[in-house]
Amino acid sequence: MPPAVIVENVSKEFILRHNRAMGLKTRFLALFHKSKRERREHFLALDNVSFTLEQGEALGLLGHNGSGKSTLMQIIAGILQPTKGRVITHGRVAPLIQLGVGFNPELTGYENIFLNASLYGFLNKDIRPKVKDIIEFSELENFIDTPLKHYSSGMQMRLGFAVAVHLQPDILLADEILAVGDQAFQEKCLAKIAEMRNKGMSLILVSHSQEQIEKFCNQYVRLDKGVMVEKGYVDRSTTTSELATLKTI
Amino acid sequence: MPNPITATLRPYWQYRDLVRNLVIKDLKVRYQGAALGFLWSLGNPLALILLYDFVFTHVFRSDLPHYILYLVIGVLHYNLFSQAIAQSCESLTSASGLIQKIYFPRILVPTSSLLFTLALWIIAILILVVLYPFLGGVYHWGLLLYPLALGLYIAFIWGIVLTFSVLQVEFRDLKHLVEIALMFGFWFTPIGYDINVLKPTTREIISLNPLTQFMDLFHALLYAGTLPALNHVIIACGWTIATVTVGMILFRCKARHLVEDL
Repeated sequence: MPPAVIVENVSKEFILRHNRAMGLKTRFLALFHKSKRERREHFLALDNVSFTLEQGEALGLLGHNGSGKSTLMQIIAGILQPTKGRVITHGRVAPLIQLGVGFNPELTGYENIFLNASLYGFLNKDIRPKVKDIIEFSELENFIDTPLKHYSSGMQMRLGFAVAVHLQPDILLADEILAVGDQAFQEKCLAKIAEMRNKGMSLILVSHSQEQIEKFCNQYVRLDKGVMVEKGYVDRSTTTSELATLKTI
Repeated sequence: MPNPITATLRPYWQYRDLVRNLVIKDLKVRYQGAALGFLWSLGNPLALILLYDFVFTHVFRSDLPHYILYLVIGVLHYNLFSQAIAQSCESLTSASGLIQKIYFPRILVPTSSLLFTLALWIIAILILVVLYPFLGGVYHWGLLLYPLALGLYIAFIWGIVLTFSVLQVEFRDLKHLVEIALMFGFWFTPIGYDINVLKPTTREIISLNPLTQFMDLFHALLYAGTLPALNHVIIACGWTIATVTVGMILFRCKARHLVEDL
């Protein structure tokens, strides 16, 4: 069985463009005013990151804000291209970088289910048999024919999460999305992810919370300013403390 | 049997319902709350035709027989061009929310914007279908070639749509320049007048406009009831190949890094 995700020496450099000339006027002014000219600054968001995630395993991504976690997720999802290195994935990747991508406020919840799912590459006919489960999971039976603009933000997230988990992805990329809705729904989401994990789904989870990673993942990577500073397995053999501890290798 | 063409197209074919859902979404959102709904897509071309008919029959005289038919054909086909091009400029920039959050073939964004315009246009072309015999149109076998001519025209437009949607990301003034160019384009295309009444030098200039060649195809098939001249067909094909090639190459080069510039 090939690994689910291979990240091989991935580096990502962004070009920060200060005073970026978007229009003719700025381009013209730049000819005369030095201060209006575009300045380019290179910024290394990821520096030579490598790891392998076997199928059915779960990996936690730890790190402070701006450490490159989200950039790495976007590269694995295929949204960004790495400057150096490569990423190989096996199976269907469902990026939950934001819930409910492409949701349109004017359409009803029902119509948005299809729009959202087709962004993940699903055909409408494949979604139709799943719609009932999706609506049931989101607990929005009474509102599903109402335009999305009348939903609360919690309701929209519930719908987004319900669609994403019912598409049966092989690899789920979760970027701090486990803060969905109220406590009860959050627990339902976590239970659902655990259930999918048992069925062999691989998971990459971004989180600030070490506790959450210890609960869900069996390995972890810690990034700091784009550099992989720590990589290891979650040790569940310790009996002394209730929580498993992170063990560096 | 895997062959290279189906292998290249498969990832796009997989997303066919995305294009469909995006077009349906745009249609639903556009006329939401308007009492007359889709009928509004008839309103604009109909008003234009009435206006131009007034101008060209009462203000400037035209000697063309069945002048309204000539005009309707030109205005409708030019409308398809101008609406598709004007919309394409913002197709990628306004879809940044999608593009930054999930991966799907980017080419589908400008393509579905074109298909949306086309869907509205098909409603408008029904005017022509209904009025065709009353305006003096003749039914002849050449009409069967019309879908081919239209297909060629749409491919030509698609090439420009791809090009402009990518360029707009880098160069945000494009949209405004295009709006002005489309205004000029109307008068530099034989829509309200016959190209043969022009002075030879002016005719040369107008012939350089690719739309002139396409208008000639449509006028020959739908208005004159003849087959278009072969050299016009060849020039139109040449223009189509040119725009599609430029659009595809530009899209291929830029698409992968598009997301960083939005």
